[in-house]
Amino acid sequence: MATTTATITISSTDLLTDELALSSTASLTTAGTSTGVTQASGLSRKTTSAAAAAGIQANVLYRASDYTAEKANKVYIKNTSTTAAEFFTVTLDQETIGRLYAGDWMFMPWIATSGTRAIFTVTIAATWAAGDTWEFDGVTLVAASSTVANIAAQIDALNYPNWTTTYVATEATIIFSARYASSASEEVWVTADGTLNTASNGTANISSSAVGSKSESDITIRPSVHTDMTYECMLIHE
Amino acid sequence: MATTTAAITLTSDLLSDNMSVSTSTTCMKAGTTADGLDQMDYGLVEIATGDQFDLIGATPTAGKASKLYVKNHSTDETYYVEIMIDSQDIGRLYGGDWMFIPANFHDANADIEVTAVTGTNKIEYALFHEGTALVAS
Repeated sequence: MATTTATITISSTDLLTDELALSSTASLTTAGTSTGVTQASGLSRKTTSAAAAAGIQANVLYRASDYTAEKANKVYIKNTSTTAAEFFTVTLDQETIGRLYAGDWMFMPWIATSGTRAIFTVTIAATWAAGDTWEFDGVTLVAASSTVANIAAQIDALNYPNWTTTYVATEATIIFSARYASSASEEVWVTADGTLNTASNGTANISSSAVGSKSESDITIRPSVHTDMTYECMLIHE
Repeated sequence: MATTTAAITLTSDLLSDNMSVSTSTTCMKAGTTADGLDQMDYGLVEIATGDQFDLIGATPTAGKASKLYVKNHSTDETYYVEIMIDSQDIGRLYGGDWMFIPANFHDANADIEVTAVTGTNKIEYALFHEGTALVAS
């Protein structure tokens, strides 16, 4: 079993009358057990910058939909800046947790409560011809044959930047699921969202769709200045 | 000026190579390098299951560099407290876990709230801050 520990030491010789020395070590375990956590997204480092203050954007550190909710996840973030006035504002969903000033670090549990992902189903039907195309999410399918099941398998095999697919062999339907739960997915997908060019009367109708709902606990950080600021972060999760 | 340092060491054999991350910060007032946080609230409380309680009311000055330490002293690994800020669920502190975060207290609703689950949890907390809005008697 992997052993991961987090030790904090808070000390001061002059804040109180007596010396302050708090120290605690936690063995990071999976929720409700004594078994060590088994997964981590390793320590990473990123520098943020923008052309001007008006261009400052929040950076998404971790998307809740990528992780299991309501577990014993832990997040570490550090502002490596050495300029005292520079800070990152750390936000969970819309709630500001606090500001990490130069050199500050934080370590907190993370609930990772996601929303739901938008989904829709595409059915390949009628008469297709090899060379017909269907474009969606910036990805273009070029039919290799006229068999609808083969075309559906082709669509499933492609990689979409914002969607994943589910497909059962020999069937003519593909289920698309949004990669992320977000308010941007709160719309109903319609046939017109895919662009079909067919030499015959082939169809790629969307037979059902469902809206998503936004994530409730994505972690974002926003730099206070547009000039270079660097942060480090790591997620230990289940 | 008071000098308070907070250090963390993360170690793990989870990866192919052993991991060890260590860093330390001196807890300063917002935007300075010359003036440390000089006020502190410290406590140990038992939180019974059921209701949600304010661990820290949002009285410290907003938009500062306050730091909050919370530890769950429960020894039963199934015990945990839900940590919330302004009703936003942050995460779960299981028995033995601790957290250390900047605390913004951006408005009167930005309390640090805890809810005990499974059983009564004993919670230690320390808030380092720049000042609070004292309540007139």
